[in-house]
Amino acid sequence: MRRVVITGVGAISPHGLSAAELWKGLREGRSSTTVLTRFESSAFPSRVAGEVAPFKITDYVPKSYRKATKIMSRDIELAVVAADGAVRDAKLATRGIVESSGGKKPDESWLTVDPRRVGCNIGAGLISADLNELSAAMAAAKEPDGTLSLRRWGRSDHPTELAGMDRLTPLWLLKYLPNMLACHVSIIHDTQGPSNTITCQQASAGLALAEACRTIQRGEADLALVGGCESLIHPMGLMRWTLLNRLNIGANDQPAKACRPLDQAAAGTVIAEGGAVLVMEELAQARARGARIYCEIAGRGESSSASGVSRPDVTGEALAVAMSKALREAAIGPEAVDLVVPPGYGIPEFDQAEVRAIHRVFGSQPRPAIVPMRGGIGDCGAGAQAIDLVAAAIAVAEQIIPPAVNCPQPLDGLDAPREARAGTALRHALVAASSISGQNSVIILRQIG
Amino acid sequence: MPFGIKVDETGNVQRPSSARAAEQKPETGNRPRAARRRVAITGMGWVTPLGWDLEGVWKKLLAGESGIAATTLFDARSFPTTFSAEVKNHTLPENLAASPKHQHIGRATGFALHAAQEAWRHAGLPQPGTPQYAKLDPYAIGAYLGSGEGSLDFDTFSRTALAAWDEQAGAVNPRVWGKQALQSFHTWREIEQEPCMPAAHLSLEFNARGPVLNCLTACAASTQALGEAMQIIRHGDAEIMISGGAHSMIHPFGVTGFNRLTALSTFNDNPRRACRPFDATRDGFVLGEGAGVLILENLDHARRRGATVWAEIVGYGSSADAYRVTDQHPEGRGAVAAIEAALRDAGLTAAQIDYINAHGTGTKENDSTETLAIKRIFGARAKATPISSIKSMLGHLIAAAGAVEAITCVLALRDQILPPTANYSVRDVECDLDYVPNQARRAKVDVVMSNSFGFGGQNDTLILRKFSL
Repeated sequence: MRRVVITGVGAISPHGLSAAELWKGLREGRSSTTVLTRFESSAFPSRVAGEVAPFKITDYVPKSYRKATKIMSRDIELAVVAADGAVRDAKLATRGIVESSGGKKPDESWLTVDPRRVGCNIGAGLISADLNELSAAMAAAKEPDGTLSLRRWGRSDHPTELAGMDRLTPLWLLKYLPNMLACHVSIIHDTQGPSNTITCQQASAGLALAEACRTIQRGEADLALVGGCESLIHPMGLMRWTLLNRLNIGANDQPAKACRPLDQAAAGTVIAEGGAVLVMEELAQARARGARIYCEIAGRGESSSASGVSRPDVTGEALAVAMSKALREAAIGPEAVDLVVPPGYGIPEFDQAEVRAIHRVFGSQPRPAIVPMRGGIGDCGAGAQAIDLVAAAIAVAEQIIPPAVNCPQPLDGLDAPREARAGTALRHALVAASSISGQNSVIILRQIG
Repeated sequence: MPFGIKVDETGNVQRPSSARAAEQKPETGNRPRAARRRVAITGMGWVTPLGWDLEGVWKKLLAGESGIAATTLFDARSFPTTFSAEVKNHTLPENLAASPKHQHIGRATGFALHAAQEAWRHAGLPQPGTPQYAKLDPYAIGAYLGSGEGSLDFDTFSRTALAAWDEQAGAVNPRVWGKQALQSFHTWREIEQEPCMPAAHLSLEFNARGPVLNCLTACAASTQALGEAMQIIRHGDAEIMISGGAHSMIHPFGVTGFNRLTALSTFNDNPRRACRPFDATRDGFVLGEGAGVLILENLDHARRRGATVWAEIVGYGSSADAYRVTDQHPEGRGAVAAIEAALRDAGLTAAQIDYINAHGTGTKENDSTETLAIKRIFGARAKATPISSIKSMLGHLIAAAGAVEAITCVLALRDQILPPTANYSVRDVECDLDYVPNQARRAKVDVVMSNSFGFGGQNDTLILRKFSL
């Protein structure tokens, strides 16, 4: 069986525009959730968000591709930035990198890739249309009674005026197709191998990584860009999460402490944006080219809680089964795991269900450190587990366990570190995700010597 | 069960004469084949613009009937395209409609549940809630759909947007929008738009606790889902995968999006003739809706329970064009790569393919590029390999298209007959292959290929084979 390792990481998160800044924020135990500034949110009960700092998307694409940035929604931009970081970190001389470096490799240590042997598997969410763009077009077809005239949406009454729909750019739809994250990344970096877009909310990135891992193991690709990105920072996203009662509505005056995963005082999550992309590579190739190897993908497990939408699986059984499957594939027992990154939303009933799953697998006094990564970031949907995977990959590579942010009083006997820990072995990290509709994904990362 | 191949519990195969006549061809694959799990198709169900009875829809397809007519789901009379392929008068089976698990489902989820229930029954699997059902391991049952996002709540969305629109500012007043939105949007209608909801509801209905996934790779999604579901079974992560897809984009914003892209046919005077794949006068695709669901099963598992194996899924290939957001690669580079990967996976050569179920959307670009890709792989045999597109009759079910086409392939293998490409009349110089024009055709069919190509350069190909041990 071909072995698969991680040789590059890229992230974009409230902690910063790179994986290095993400890691710095996590290691220092910072919180980057703040008062929501992207749009005026006074009508909403929760006004806290994990926002990504401003950036110029044209800085992350080759010159010839700048025009295409006009049809990138926020979610697509996040993926393009994260992929750029991952590819550079892995020193892959892809089409985009070569073009940005004046038509040659940045230096001889970079790998020239065969585009047909590179896959791309980036999880995505439900992308909301830009409200102002769509509303402006609809306003042109407004009836006197305030409703929309479908007749004038489709065809204008006056030859000199545009119909409502004609005010939208012809490529409008392409901004919002979930597979456009992978599409743009595949064009920029010329990845022609197996490609997919998994849309399983917070479990998307782990499911994508597992799938790409099988692809490399079967020999259909040698490299893959995998991960997930999403922005929930949109009036529609805030409205949906508010209606589902997922948000902490009592922390508007303490935004940095709003999201408290696995803490006894957890009171809801925070909308956020971000995500990550990882470079996965076949081990022998990675060794042969002297790549920096973060860790090995040792095992994966999947399950579905079948508990209903936005209802926690109170038994924790399905998530525990996914963890056990991953341990079995990694051929290790729970005692070989030193770090668990749980889904950790900060929503009490979901947190409690996760803790039950952890207890089922690791016993009532779990030995590994439990570090939810969401405390200082918030929930960025399909980007969530991608960020967790990057964090865990760096943790294993650096042999440092970052602290659990906003978790001073962890639930039931969990060891949630208050400070970063170094000096003890971090052999395996287990990264678990549960989507709000019950899909579970578990990935085990192994230290590689 | 006509033409099906029955395998009893001792592993003895009772094969009809048509199956005996088609002894397995020697494999001439280009790489050695390690022993791996084989994946059987044991059940099928669909909800389509021609109905939802498996055999009834199949008969209509063979007769060249059209499911395309004036759009009724909303008033589309002023749109550039006024017609579509709607699922007409659909009602959920009573048990599903009455189930508290599925109270707030969207249109596509309803299609998916209905098709899955039909497929589950067709596979002879025990109904949820029965003692026999309790003997199944829920963690060995998964689902992998390629379903699209649910329809936006158009009325609430437009009312809220217009109420909050500030003409002078040229923007939505966020305070007004937020206040009204929290009062008017419906919680469940919103969350049900998430693309993974059809898969989540299948997991609930069948207590499927194995791997449950959804991919959304535009028009290739459910073909991709079937391919990846097969891989999950081969890899040993599940014994049974409920797989396929569901989608409905027949709503004002869906049609707006495709009309703005000028991808839809505007043949408003004669909707039944609007979708003309491979014809020189083709002018775009026709938006359809529906679902297709297949039960994929580890062959050994299917044999142990004495299931009828309708076909075997033997090859899958996926690729990206990595070319442009809006156009396919002009030489069909990605399509060629996906087809080659599927042949390699199946250990077959192009010469062994007896029929190609085309993506065949009816757009100028797709049909020319697909024809070119087939020629590049099939060479001199291209003209002798029949190709057809059922989108000529069903329209384009977008994410669900590939699953419905895969079911058609299984039925073609079962009955040894090829569905036609309807509305074909004027030969295109670029499309000069055998498209099975207008009439279904009897043929000896052992191995079939199904192609799906999505916006954004996503290419997926499946290869199915008539089952024999």
